[in-house]
Amino acid sequence: MRPRCGTDMGLIVKTSARAIIPLIGIFGTYIVAHGHLTPGGGFQGGATIAGAGILFLVAFGLNEMRKHYNKHLYSALEGLGGLVFLGAAMLGIGTAFFYNTLWHNGPIFNGKPGTLLSAGFLPIMNLAVGLKVFTGLVSALVAIAMYRRWRS
Amino acid sequence: MKKTIAYLSLLFILGVLLYVANPNYGLKFGPGGDDWKNLRYTDDYYITHGVQEVGGTNIVTDIVFDYRGYDTIGEATVLFTAIAGAVALLRPWRGDEE
Repeated sequence: MRPRCGTDMGLIVKTSARAIIPLIGIFGTYIVAHGHLTPGGGFQGGATIAGAGILFLVAFGLNEMRKHYNKHLYSALEGLGGLVFLGAAMLGIGTAFFYNTLWHNGPIFNGKPGTLLSAGFLPIMNLAVGLKVFTGLVSALVAIAMYRRWRS
Repeated sequence: MKKTIAYLSLLFILGVLLYVANPNYGLKFGPGGDDWKNLRYTDDYYITHGVQEVGGTNIVTDIVFDYRGYDTIGEATVLFTAIAGAVALLRPWRGDEE
């Protein structure tokens, strides 16, 4: 018996996924937020959070994903992530593109190295890239699942 | 017969790799020693100046987002283009309804 399109998996998988998805999301958010302090960063953390979304898609099926997935919201968030990245790079345009002016003489994000509010535009860029990668990967996987062209 | 040849060739490749990877008489990558530091001065520069100039204690993030920021812009653009292409190719086409 093969699972049909749009159906969910069994009860065990769904219960485990319900318990694990928040933990994966929290871990990915931690990787993104501490990208300038610990190994990891925007790309890696965004891919981790997207893994939680893909686990939701696999465990609960496409019909459930359709209810929770908003195409316009996700494309808007992806564009917003890219624009925030470029805007953070533009902050130091008085000296050069990608000049870290927030770190050298900015009002915020210039604490001691090693604290969360340090490193200038690095936390902002990490958050923007993490948002972009998360929404982009989830959009790509939902597009592959939703518009598939093969017959089951 | 075929299997014997396959295993022998795997053994041969393993031996070649073991010989090549040996630091005493294998391949030498670069000059090594202090010459290496003179030629690859950027490594040392990032490690010693990264925290002071960019502020992040994660040197990789310092390099990726500050020293090599243009590369990251290109990477994000590649990701955006790949997803836009995937969605554009996979969406329902005209005359596709059955």
